[in-house]
Amino acid sequence: MESLERVPPTWDGHLLLVHRSEQERRAGVAAWVTRGLEVGAKIVYAEPPGQSPDRSLMAVLNERRVDTGASVTRGQLQVLPPEHLYSPAQQVHLIEQALAEGYPSVRFSAEAHTAYTVVSPAAHADLEWAMERLCRVRPVSALCQYPADLTLETLQVVSAMHVDGIWQTHLRTAARPDGIVLAGEADVSNQQILRSAVMAATTLARRSFVVDLSLLDFLDVGGCRALLLGTADYRRDGGRVLLQAPQRRVDRLLRLLAVDREQGVNVDGNDDDD
Amino acid sequence: MTTEADSITLGSYSHDLLLHDNDEVLVDGTIAFVQEGLASGGQVLVHSTEERVALLRGALGSHARLTYGLDRDLYQSPSTTLFAYQRIFEERTDATDVWVTGTVPHGEDQESHAAWARYESLVNEALGDYAFHALCTYDTQTLAPDVIAASRATHPHVGVGAHREVSHAYEEPADFLTDELAAVPTAPASEPTVTADVYSPHDLHIARRLLRRNTEPSDVSPDIADDLVTAAHEILVNGLEHGVPPVRLELWVGRSKLTCRVTDGGTGIRDRLAGFRHPNRGGSMGLWAARQLCENIFVSNLTRGGCSVLLSTA
Repeated sequence: MESLERVPPTWDGHLLLVHRSEQERRAGVAAWVTRGLEVGAKIVYAEPPGQSPDRSLMAVLNERRVDTGASVTRGQLQVLPPEHLYSPAQQVHLIEQALAEGYPSVRFSAEAHTAYTVVSPAAHADLEWAMERLCRVRPVSALCQYPADLTLETLQVVSAMHVDGIWQTHLRTAARPDGIVLAGEADVSNQQILRSAVMAATTLARRSFVVDLSLLDFLDVGGCRALLLGTADYRRDGGRVLLQAPQRRVDRLLRLLAVDREQGVNVDGNDDDD
Repeated sequence: MTTEADSITLGSYSHDLLLHDNDEVLVDGTIAFVQEGLASGGQVLVHSTEERVALLRGALGSHARLTYGLDRDLYQSPSTTLFAYQRIFEERTDATDVWVTGTVPHGEDQESHAAWARYESLVNEALGDYAFHALCTYDTQTLAPDVIAASRATHPHVGVGAHREVSHAYEEPADFLTDELAAVPTAPASEPTVTADVYSPHDLHIARRLLRRNTEPSDVSPDIADDLVTAAHEILVNGLEHGVPPVRLELWVGRSKLTCRVTDGGTGIRDRLAGFRHPNRGGSMGLWAARQLCENIFVSNLTRGGCSVLLSTA
């Protein structure tokens, strides 16, 4: 967990927050909003009108002692009903307006089930893909909050929509130009998230794909399996995976399990993999 | 004495014992074994102390498929040595058999004697799937009686060539582990330094942190302590997957030794030797990895049901 307390791999882009408990969700949202306030971004948060007070964004931020008074007053932090966010036209309007007001960037966030109160799951998926594109071409970031009880199939689809990074209590991923950064601890409790994140990231990779392990404090047998399964299709198609800069205990397990001898896998500078 | 019923032909795996009370018996037995290995087209390794390697080299000479090694280079801890051999065999692409003869380093005290005796027994489990022939030479003049007794219980056959016969004292590895000669470590009689119950995979990071924090004061090297934590994690995962939660974790922190016990409430484990065979040949990968990360791991079933796994550093 030490690495999660250091600089996280990324705070920006189209991010997926996978939460197993309300406490985990609140911690992730508070950290993300704090970062937005620090960089002076406009923050738009969608919340259903009937949201219980203790689950509301303001309750979360107050609980975490995030000072929101001034930012709410000047409109930097704005909570809107979901129908104001879940429309492509509305999103573009909000972005244009915020940039015209002088904000350097815009950040959106909501819980997935909030979206389902105003759009169908299929329409929400289309909006997620649209947001993914928007984050590529405009100064926009989004934190999309999903519960952890997703099926592997759904998790893989959702991960593919959020290649900039996944946040889970003990594991974070972030995109880098040639691959993915892993931070925290990867074990049997989050191996499906790891597998989905890696698989999604490899779909964008060319001939080589770097998995930066320097911030990964722990990896177990399940995590090793997830790395191999997540990259299996990519390697089968001729792609090469470099597991870069593993810490001692991670490196030890990778070599014990002969992950470095799997087809298309190198660990650091090891070239005699296959 | 070799009887007709006892007469054994070599299969693809053999683990034989040569007891000798003088150099002549040692040299003659080694020559017979090496010649058999070379005649079969196999790769042959002769290892021993510097003095004995010189003696055997003088008798055997050189051959393209014969190499000599020193015990101190080949034999580290019992567990490391066992899995190093297994890795070599598993990763070999050469179809020829491997023939190895020499003496394992039995150590100076009874604890070491027992640890290497367990190694000799577990060779039959961990390496039994490979095209591997071993002739272990034991000097009855210099080795302790418990070492000699254990050697008879851990090698399926005694003797070389025409003199090769079944060892009637041989015990299957699972049985040998219950023998006094194996002296399987037990948990300290004192109260554990720390105890925790693990209910789900989401508790595992807490268990790891608890172990790390509590092993720090020990004089055990940080790498060994760290490997114990990873090994215990994998055992906890097994307990959650195959047993019934909560899985109890206990840790005893000694100045120079760490002991950990993981107990689940399931139906127990059918194969107490699970995790010694390579996972490519079936079996638990987590337990196999754990056995390589921690020198001593012993699995037992509880009379009240459930499974108990004891892990300890050397």
